[in-house]
Amino acid sequence: MNFLLLLLPPGDKRIFLAWVFLGMLSLAILWSVTEPIQGPYEELDPGVAKGVFFRQVIWMMIGYCGLLAAAYVPLRYLDNIAVPVFLFSLALLALTLMIGPRIAGSQRWLVVGPIRIQPSEFAKVTYILMMAHVLGLTADGMRKLPVTLGSLLITFLPMMLILREPDLGTSLVFIAVWVGLVFWYGVPGLLLLGAGSAAASAVFSFYSETVAESPWPWAIYLLVLLGGLYLARLSILSSVFLLIANITTGIGIPFLWDKLKGYQQERILTFFDPSRDAFGTGYQAIQSKVAIGTGGLFGTHYLQGTQKGLAFLPERHTDFIFSVLGEELGLFGAIFLLMVFLVLLWRGIHHATVARQPFARFVAIGVVSYFVFHVVTNVAITTGLMPVTGLPLPMISYGGSNLLTSSILVGLLMNVSAHSFND
Amino acid sequence: MHENRDLLLRQRIFQLLVLALFLILIGNLFYMMVLRHGFYKDQALENRQVRFRVSAPRGRITDRFGTILADNLYIADITLPRGALKSGQPDSTLQRLIRWFDLPEEETLQRLAQQKKRGRRRLTLVPNASMPRISAVQERGRQLPGVRVESRPRRRYLYGSLLAHLVGYVGEVGEADMDTTAGGKSYRLGDEIGKQGAEAAMEDHLRGNDGLKLEEVNASNRIVGRRTIWLEEVEPGQDVTMTISLPLQNEMDQAIGDGVGCGVAISVRTGQVLAACSKPTFDSNLMTVSISSSQWKALIEDPAKPFFNRIVQATYPPASIYKTVTSLAGLSYGVIDTTSFLEPCYGGMNFGNRYFRCWKRGGHGVINHTDAMVYSCDTFYYQLGLRMEIDQMAGAARAFGLGKPCSDIFPSESGGNIPDTAFYDRRFGPRGWTRGVLLNNSIGQGEILVTPLQMALLTARIATSGKTPDPTFILDPAPEIKTPPALPFKEEHLQWCRDTLWQVVGRGTGKAARQDSFSVAGKTGTAQNPHGEDHAWFVCFAPVENPEVAVAVLLENAGGGGSMAAPIAGKWLKAWFASEDRRRLFGSAEGPS
Repeated sequence: MNFLLLLLPPGDKRIFLAWVFLGMLSLAILWSVTEPIQGPYEELDPGVAKGVFFRQVIWMMIGYCGLLAAAYVPLRYLDNIAVPVFLFSLALLALTLMIGPRIAGSQRWLVVGPIRIQPSEFAKVTYILMMAHVLGLTADGMRKLPVTLGSLLITFLPMMLILREPDLGTSLVFIAVWVGLVFWYGVPGLLLLGAGSAAASAVFSFYSETVAESPWPWAIYLLVLLGGLYLARLSILSSVFLLIANITTGIGIPFLWDKLKGYQQERILTFFDPSRDAFGTGYQAIQSKVAIGTGGLFGTHYLQGTQKGLAFLPERHTDFIFSVLGEELGLFGAIFLLMVFLVLLWRGIHHATVARQPFARFVAIGVVSYFVFHVVTNVAITTGLMPVTGLPLPMISYGGSNLLTSSILVGLLMNVSAHSFND
Repeated sequence: MHENRDLLLRQRIFQLLVLALFLILIGNLFYMMVLRHGFYKDQALENRQVRFRVSAPRGRITDRFGTILADNLYIADITLPRGALKSGQPDSTLQRLIRWFDLPEEETLQRLAQQKKRGRRRLTLVPNASMPRISAVQERGRQLPGVRVESRPRRRYLYGSLLAHLVGYVGEVGEADMDTTAGGKSYRLGDEIGKQGAEAAMEDHLRGNDGLKLEEVNASNRIVGRRTIWLEEVEPGQDVTMTISLPLQNEMDQAIGDGVGCGVAISVRTGQVLAACSKPTFDSNLMTVSISSSQWKALIEDPAKPFFNRIVQATYPPASIYKTVTSLAGLSYGVIDTTSFLEPCYGGMNFGNRYFRCWKRGGHGVINHTDAMVYSCDTFYYQLGLRMEIDQMAGAARAFGLGKPCSDIFPSESGGNIPDTAFYDRRFGPRGWTRGVLLNNSIGQGEILVTPLQMALLTARIATSGKTPDPTFILDPAPEIKTPPALPFKEEHLQWCRDTLWQVVGRGTGKAARQDSFSVAGKTGTAQNPHGEDHAWFVCFAPVENPEVAVAVLLENAGGGGSMAAPIAGKWLKAWFASEDRRRLFGSAEGPS
């Protein structure tokens, strides 16, 4: 009896419940996606094999073990091994680039016997632990600016390795998690302002370069910024810092743009106008939107989505699984999914606030940032709000590495919630 | 505690940010799934259902006994959606295809842009694609969204050269045709339309109505469903039966051989054309594919004019054949009798200050009306012509249907020319001509022009006392047959004419057409040609006792009709008499001997 109780991890039961709901939803949708395509379409579209569903069931069990392990392992111990574990995952990433097989043009996997693992997924976990370790050590100190800038280096190391695979989507996760962590750390407002305005400058510069093909949009943005700085009466030094940040990103973007590969440029351009290549790179975006829009309030009912059945939806069991959910379960199904995530995030933010240990706080907010970025970006991509880049919907999309990572992260959150008041 | 207040502030900001992001997502979902639900639902349907136009096969053309002369062959085009080309730029799919097929890029894009400009819904990248290319597209369907292999019927002529002038040919609908096509049939650029012969004349009958169907397609635009919904059923075009008999046509073709000219045979009872050959000819299959410009130039610049349909388009002086008309006119106006003698022939006669020669330099001596026709004495006919008015002779010719187009399917048919007072007044002025024209007219020279088909009709009407209707090339759908007006000649005169023509073949100038097993009546002619060697004429009908067919043969620049044209007619008659087709057409094959 006591042994069975151990299977229910300690900590915030609402978080665990969210994990259970998400897992069940994932299996339900994967069951539908892997239903054989009926009648005449069979021969033309092989569909997604039922094996995908059963493999996900097994991964769900492995993920549960990961969750339990992450929930039970003492946080202090994790704090202590954060550095070597992080270095180990960097080594794995490097190894992947050296000996990983090239699959569909990219080196993302390490093959060990029958299983393929994706080191970039586990790097997400070790990165959060590493950052929490570093930020936790100095949480009460006053030298926050140098630590923040130094943490950028920790971020860039795995990012660069992952960008080389290449895997743009995953590398962006590190930026998002870093922003969440340093915000929680208490980054100086100036730095935040600088980063925010530099990002805006980049967007305007990009718009000038590709869409408007004239420097005026960016120039006008700079003028507005100058006006803002004058009105805000910031110190000369701060103003100069902000201006330099804005101008360097603004000038750097066109150079970066030229460095992008043709297909990457095409993807971004197609984002602005999917119809420019309706049967090419814009196809996924258009079909995904059609599937979701078809769903209506209550969906076309479970197992009856037409878009996925006719193979209009590429990647329908992985990155674009939200489109199937939208089509079959409708607006209510989609809102239910987002609400479950919101519960998870809300509890996470709560524990990130109340936990006594700085390390625990940063682990919690790191996990929350990870989920916020993944969920918001994935849904935004499938609904056409963002350009298409490969990024799974955590816990829902098919894929063992991501499921295990997400489960471990949920386990860490449980761990934090169980020991909120430990010093 | 300051630290705590600070953290609580961050918590609020973080919560607000997450909430804001989720609200944006949910708001967008609400917009897409509720407000724009209808739009996306239509899109999803459109995704699955694509309209396909299905070309209706054109009706077939057969000979009178059902042998197929023209049918349809199915060929495949590789087509793309209009959107594959945007402001002159190819999309990724089109680029890939151009690379795979190694097409000349600039030329191809220009061609597609032109199709797009003309309003085509789908662009034809490769017309009449080869099998390797078709399978390349079908195997890589998933990588080529929107690309389809579409089949369409293309015309095939099984006897391209033998029947080119009669069956005609089809071509692509051009911009000019779009405005003029009638009959309530819709045409789209690139459709087939009859350009010549039966194909053009029977266009409304042969052309079907294209169908429109909805098909379910998958992501790569391939048809997947069997649930086809027909919006408009395909109505295939209707078949057309021609009056031609393929074996008899073949006989005519072989009889003429390599000569330049034509031969036509009609049934004297119905006016139906049984065989009609114009030489040289061309292969009508060449006209349905994009013929190379050098091939086209060779055909157009050939001095023998292969496109020229000599049966109905070419006009020649009828020469001595016309003597039948002169005789019948003279008899009906009472200026001569069937047994009359005129001044003897000494090789010609004087009129005004000109000497008019007979073809026989030594002259025919004393000769009566019958022998004048049998031996084709010009001197006799000069005198006979002078006894009449020009309009009297023209009237007799028109009574046989000369001077105007007579057949059914050739808009470019020539009517020939039967000169009368009005004609000469117009040409030379009211006082600019003399009765001397009567001499030329009486022997079928001068300004008189006829087509070979008109000569066959003249012969048939002599054979049937005028009962032969105007010649037709189409059997089914049955053309309207008008009863020809009665001839203004006495039956005894027509009978005399037929007897005399029989003697022409029996002992006169037409001996080369004589047959052992049945009797033939005919008349030779040698048309003077100022540009070169004379044209050889021969017309005949057979069997004399109960006429069935009338034949007219003309060989350009061949010389005398008796020696050159008559053997051709004889050869054809011999084949015809023994043929299965004759038995089927006229009952018993054992004609009276």
